[in-house]
Amino acid sequence: MTGRAKVFSAFILILMAAFFANLSLGATNIAPEDILLAFFSFDADNYDHFVVIYQRLPRVLIAVFVGSVMACSGAVLQGLMRNPLASPALLGINAGATLFVVGGVVFFGISSAFQGIAALIGGICGFGACLMVARMSGMDGNSRGLSLILSGAVVSMLFIGIANALLLSTPELRNEFLGWVTGNINHVYIDLLYQMWPVGVGGVVVLLILSRALTLIALGPEKAASAGVNIVLVSRLAIAAVVLSSSAAVAICGPIGFVGLVVPHIVRPLVGAKQTMIIPGCILVGASICLIADMVARLAFSPFVLHTGVMMDLFGGVVFAFVVRRYYLTPGLRRSL
Amino acid sequence: MLSAQNLVVSYGKSPVLNGLSVQFDTGGVTALVGPNGCGKSTLLKAILGLLPKSAGTITLDDVPIDDIPRRTLARRIAYLPQENHCPDYIVLGELIELAGYARYSLFGGPSAQDRALFADVLRTVGLSDMAHVPVNSLSGGQRQRAWIAMVLAQDADIILMDEPVNHLDMKYQYAVLDLVRRLGQEHSKTIITVLHDLNLASAFADHVVMVRQGKAGIFGPTKQVITPENIRMVFDFDADVFMREDRLVCLPRQDAQMRANAE
Repeated sequence: MTGRAKVFSAFILILMAAFFANLSLGATNIAPEDILLAFFSFDADNYDHFVVIYQRLPRVLIAVFVGSVMACSGAVLQGLMRNPLASPALLGINAGATLFVVGGVVFFGISSAFQGIAALIGGICGFGACLMVARMSGMDGNSRGLSLILSGAVVSMLFIGIANALLLSTPELRNEFLGWVTGNINHVYIDLLYQMWPVGVGGVVVLLILSRALTLIALGPEKAASAGVNIVLVSRLAIAAVVLSSSAAVAICGPIGFVGLVVPHIVRPLVGAKQTMIIPGCILVGASICLIADMVARLAFSPFVLHTGVMMDLFGGVVFAFVVRRYYLTPGLRRSL
Repeated sequence: MLSAQNLVVSYGKSPVLNGLSVQFDTGGVTALVGPNGCGKSTLLKAILGLLPKSAGTITLDDVPIDDIPRRTLARRIAYLPQENHCPDYIVLGELIELAGYARYSLFGGPSAQDRALFADVLRTVGLSDMAHVPVNSLSGGQRQRAWIAMVLAQDADIILMDEPVNHLDMKYQYAVLDLVRRLGQEHSKTIITVLHDLNLASAFADHVVMVRQGKAGIFGPTKQVITPENIRMVFDFDADVFMREDRLVCLPRQDAQMRANAE
């Protein structure tokens, strides 16, 4: 078995372990055989079966979806912009989707059926705003996309600020949405998953199809174009797939930051820098990380349940610091820290 | 045959290429020489359609380049930019494999024929046993040969190179250019390369194109183009050109250099 095959087998094993652990551990621990029974011979009167199928499985499915989609989006953005900090959360996509959902609920009282549409439009607007700010600041010519990242940070802060202000001024919605705004994987959102999954899966399939061209773009646009890549078409398609699929993830459980940033940095050293390998790796590892974060969020402060988004922010903040240290500090600065 | 007619390309308002016309001979090595900022690199990028042109046409076998789809063009023309960056964690073998992009179908990978070509290319540049080594951990000379291998693996009949021996010491400059010339002969490829050093150009090029202020000043066989008069006209510089053991040597005159420094 080659090194890469071993790595992927390990990814799959970890994902399966995280999947079953997440179903099994909780306020009450459920034995693995009961989980299998719940799947294959569901007994409506058995409380454990009920918990597995109607409470934990929805959470697990949401975590898998969000983790995979966000991780793939981050990997593709990092390659396209040739910037290790690029991710849906840092380019205004998450914040835009959040603001539009909150704004839609506060101003137009949209039902949860339209939240998904609002999030998709919001994600596009958030990314558009980020591009606009970068262009206005007049440094959109720089090659590593740093101005985009900075503009994304500004836009995200602004949008999240407005979303919070709207929520705080609307007491009757505050309780319902405060959890969602911090990124909360919860079984009550399962209907949104049923509604939004084709967008996310479609996006990831598009990214997989483009993966070879995306690897070439990471070598530089001129090199890629001379090797036969239609740069404009490929990057537009990829960005559309990323924006739509990560907005779909936000629509379900609010903005869960850092998955998109962190997971590609874990996957890349293990499988190499070809997007044909990174994207499948990100699907598996992104899902596992989200499952583990969700589990820790539920168990660490039991009986209190922490939001998964908060948990990811804690974990991601640390990795973020390492990424900045590795890619942005000059060796001299790094030594002095 | 590759040719450009009345080409105008501008960055912002000032034109870099201003009515340039040139015909590149098929086969052999053609050196593009000229002073800094005269538009040598711009010409290569314009040929590949990487820069918008304000006027003029570039044709490949009488077909305008703009009418050739990217993938088809990539099978005819390969390009080595002046600066190349490889992301971390890419190994040499993977880099070489990426070059075949234009020949692969959407889901298919390299064919057996492609793999044979890749092995052949690595042998040619002397990196056969390095296929599993990360590109960024190769030495400077090895890395430059790796990029040349990638360009060869694209299997195009025309290869454009932008200062392929920049940053290399003299030994590697000669080794790399010798390799390039041999490849041109053995695989009957047309190689068009930007070179700074007139002595390198006269040692390795069959044809020379002198670019002067955005216009192709003079082009033709090396020995007819590299003359004191032409160097004076294009580089604004006095040099002696003489033959030594059947090789053209180009020696800048000391007094001319001193005068230039004093001004």
